[in-house]
Amino acid sequence: MLTRGTLIYIAQRLALIVFTLIAVSFLVFITVHSLPGSAFESERVHGKALQLVLHQYGLDRPILVQYWSFLTSAIHGNLGVSFQIRGLPITPLVMRELSVSAELGGTALLITIGIGTTFGVLAAMRQNSWVDYTLTSIAVVGYSVPSFVLAGLGVLIFSYWLPNVTNGVISYPAIWTGTYGTLVELSLPAVILGFYTSGQVTRITRAAMLEVLQQDYIRTARAKGLKSRVVTVRHALRNALIPVISILGPLVISIITGSVIIENIFGIPGLGKEFVESILGADYNVTVAVFTVYALLIGIANLVVDLLYTVVDPRIRY
Amino acid sequence: MTDPILEVRGLSTHFFTDDGEVKAVRGVSFGVEPGETLGIVGESGCGKSVTAMSILGLVQRPGKVVAGEIMFKGSDLLKLTKEELRNIRGRDIAMIFQDPLSSLNPVLRVGYQIDEAMYAHDKIPRDQVERRGIDLLKQVRVSDAERRINDFPHQFSGGMRQRAMIAMGLSNKPDLLIADEPTTALDVTVQAQILELLRDLNEQTGAAIILITHNLGVVAGLCKRVLVMYAGEIVEEGTAEQIFERPQHPYTWSLLRSVPRIDANRGHRLLSIEGLPPDLIDLPQGCKFNPRCPFRVERCFKESPPIEQVAPAQHAACWVTMERAYAEMGAGTITDTSPGAASGVHPDGRRALPAAEVPAAVAEAGQ
Amino acid sequence: MAISTPVLEEYAGGTVAREQVGLWRDGFRRLRRNRLALAALVYLTILFVVAIVALFWTPYNPAAILPNTLTFLGPSAAHPLGTDDLGRDLLSRMMQGAQISLIVGVGTSAIVLTVGVVVGLIAGYFRGWIDNVISVFINIFYGIPGILVAIILYLVLGRGLGNIMIAISATAWMDMARLVRGQAFSIREREYIEAARASGARSGKILFGHILPNSLGPIIVQATFVIPIAILTEAFLSYLGLGIPSPLASWGSIASEGYAALPLEPYMMLWPAVALSLTLLAFNFLGDGLRDAFDPRQRL
Ligand SMILES: Nc1ncnc2c1ncn2[C@@H]1O[C@H](COP(=O)(O)OP(=O)(O)OP(=O)(O)O)[C@@H](O)[C@H]1O
Ligand code: SF4
Ligand SMILES: [Mg+2]
Repeated sequence: MLTRGTLIYIAQRLALIVFTLIAVSFLVFITVHSLPGSAFESERVHGKALQLVLHQYGLDRPILVQYWSFLTSAIHGNLGVSFQIRGLPITPLVMRELSVSAELGGTALLITIGIGTTFGVLAAMRQNSWVDYTLTSIAVVGYSVPSFVLAGLGVLIFSYWLPNVTNGVISYPAIWTGTYGTLVELSLPAVILGFYTSGQVTRITRAAMLEVLQQDYIRTARAKGLKSRVVTVRHALRNALIPVISILGPLVISIITGSVIIENIFGIPGLGKEFVESILGADYNVTVAVFTVYALLIGIANLVVDLLYTVVDPRIRY
Repeated sequence: MTDPILEVRGLSTHFFTDDGEVKAVRGVSFGVEPGETLGIVGESGCGKSVTAMSILGLVQRPGKVVAGEIMFKGSDLLKLTKEELRNIRGRDIAMIFQDPLSSLNPVLRVGYQIDEAMYAHDKIPRDQVERRGIDLLKQVRVSDAERRINDFPHQFSGGMRQRAMIAMGLSNKPDLLIADEPTTALDVTVQAQILELLRDLNEQTGAAIILITHNLGVVAGLCKRVLVMYAGEIVEEGTAEQIFERPQHPYTWSLLRSVPRIDANRGHRLLSIEGLPPDLIDLPQGCKFNPRCPFRVERCFKESPPIEQVAPAQHAACWVTMERAYAEMGAGTITDTSPGAASGVHPDGRRALPAAEVPAAVAEAGQ
Repeated sequence: MAISTPVLEEYAGGTVAREQVGLWRDGFRRLRRNRLALAALVYLTILFVVAIVALFWTPYNPAAILPNTLTFLGPSAAHPLGTDDLGRDLLSRMMQGAQISLIVGVGTSAIVLTVGVVVGLIAGYFRGWIDNVISVFINIFYGIPGILVAIILYLVLGRGLGNIMIAISATAWMDMARLVRGQAFSIREREYIEAARASGARSGKILFGHILPNSLGPIIVQATFVIPIAILTEAFLSYLGLGIPSPLASWGSIASEGYAALPLEPYMMLWPAVALSLTLLAFNFLGDGLRDAFDPRQRL
């Protein structure tokens, strides 16, 4: 399975990811540190005391020196310390938040792919029927309605209206309680997040299915006397999934984008919430760390996608 | 004469497109006897593939079989349920297609695609399927079959893919194999090998073969009997010898005249004669060949000629027939084959442009 | 292959021009048949009128905390959409929000169009090291969610309408540049460019006279899709409190205030929710319609 060529390819891609991470973190580091103010201002530290604190955190050094020390410790897995919660090491914090975001995002991704491929296949099988029009319209609605609107609607129904109607038998907490939430708490944000991106999957699956269903090998499969379900799933869908895989990368990006706002709405302690809080609180080390982790995540997701191609399409070998 | 295993009667298949109703196949009738090799020839677009697809119920929207009967082993295929038809496809009647690369699923192993055809019908005992898959590949002369059976289609050469398609078609020991231009996409040498293979298989397994092609040379090499189609209809039918030696329909005659010129160059359309086939949405009145026929007479513009016996086992649909054309119009010596040239009939300004004056763009569009 | 006679160049040019006219005519015909796209166009026209009216007149001052007016007033004759948590007139605020959304959407699209087309043409036409530098830069940022970049950049630049557009454009131009670069690459290969070049046309003329008109369809489609993305991003930022500074009203900020007030007065969230959804839907339908009409190759 893993040939020499593939391993070399993976190594090259990993090198590229590292290069990207350095470039991105550098740009973000410089940009963020040019922002006016710092986390300590709000703490009313002035004059000599402020100098002392800045010195303690190394913030009085030239910016390039600061970046260099960030980079060298980042390579050892140390992303620095938070300003806001004085001295809190960022790496474990970000790792925990990453796992929370991954829980939410992973669930959303599964929902997206589930809904999207199902709708896409159904629409393609019934091209130009009302089923097709309904499903493709839902797809456009999906990525047109902002997630905070869906969140508002969901909270209104599940947190206010249903508890009222059922006298509190059904009640949905609008805000997460624990770090990882409960399954019930996870469900609404994950569905909203997943629904938003499912439209893209629906459309690309539908287009790919329509394209594939025209292919000669589908005619061959039918001429062999295979059951139509077998033709659809084994012969058509497997080929239609190849273009679907190509949007997995953009999909991960969409989900991250959506999660920034969803995490803030539902109070989910993930990377997205941290990103906004850190930037509002001028906790720049954290901002840089979160950004870098996102970039890493996306780089790895794209690599995984490219490797997935080789699994689904035997013609592709690296 | 034995009973035919397949008998098509009055088959008509139309496509209901935005531009109008494309009458691709109109009133086609023919029979296939057990073990027989039947060739169907005609220019591109004359309805050969649609006829074949209609037999197996593979015509898709916007196409529809609008009339006819397709009798196979005593039942009308057009009246079967989807499931009953599915049971016949690939089991009793198998089909192989022109382009062997696009006709194989790129993401499934060749062996899997062959075995799948057998699993789908349970005609071959399940525990013998894999063994038979390899044997079939050997039978169609793919070397190193044990190993190659696990390859993906893109790892096969063009000729090997077509062999694999044939193996797939034969896997359930069908009574009838329909081969739609099985050699067109292949090299000349590979073409010859595939034809030889089909001939051997026909002799060994006794499966009847319908061979669809542009290439008269291919037909001559394999088929005992030949149908000539023009604009969705059968215009002539006879034994290979009759069709090649004594064609009675002016269209067949024209096709034969054009053979040497094109045979030289594979990859180009193998049959082509002056002028264009008619628009299948808006067909000419009378004989559909009249706009291109050198021997047309007045009657050809008014009435459609019925297909009639012209010799023992030979039928043609023509008011004139070549016998008369030779005798009365000097068909044996003419060099000008433009429409109406031999008969001098150009009724009411209906004179078509001589081929030389057909604008190049139009001629290309018709290819 | 080099065709260098003036006659041939003229012939080639004529073909291109005729091809273009035909394409546009077909495109408009297809667009007219697309009912969803037409409905979207009607809605957007109305929205533009509302936004323009709001320039000169709104029922109340959108920012004014009205004296003697209750907060969270339901819809009434005086306040058709009610009042918000501070007693401001929601209709006036929604009208201002329409203005902001459209300015951000169209403005961002214009920036993206300009930057993306110029950079893309340069990369695709000149190739070589220029293309390499541009491509490496785009590839680095290609995978980064635009919203993160927009947030940081917006705060660095300082809050304001112009800066929010720049912040959103910071990543959005890359898609456009990639598209134009690809188009330039393929069109460059075509014969008539060769013809034009062989007869000594300058690169400027080739770029803007040949490549640009030939890729106009996909470019317009892409530019249309930038609009809803920009509107949505602005709404996101405003919703998070990182957007247009108050008291300017944005649909995003009204929605955010409305979300906080959800248990009390759901309608306050309703208006921006409906307005945003319809507007984004309209732009997406319009974009789809334009794509089907003018860029049939990438029809989904
Ligand atoms: N899906 C379709 N929609 C509309 N018309 C069709 C369709 N498929 C086939 N036709 C029409 O049916 C006619 C016959 O097509 P067919 O494929 O049977 O020709 P053929 O004889 O097999 O030609 P070729 O040698 O090129 O394969 C064509 O003229 C074509 O216009
Ligand atoms: S002679 Fe008449 S009937 Fe015979 S093919 Fe020519 S046109 Fe048709
Ligand atoms: Mg054919």
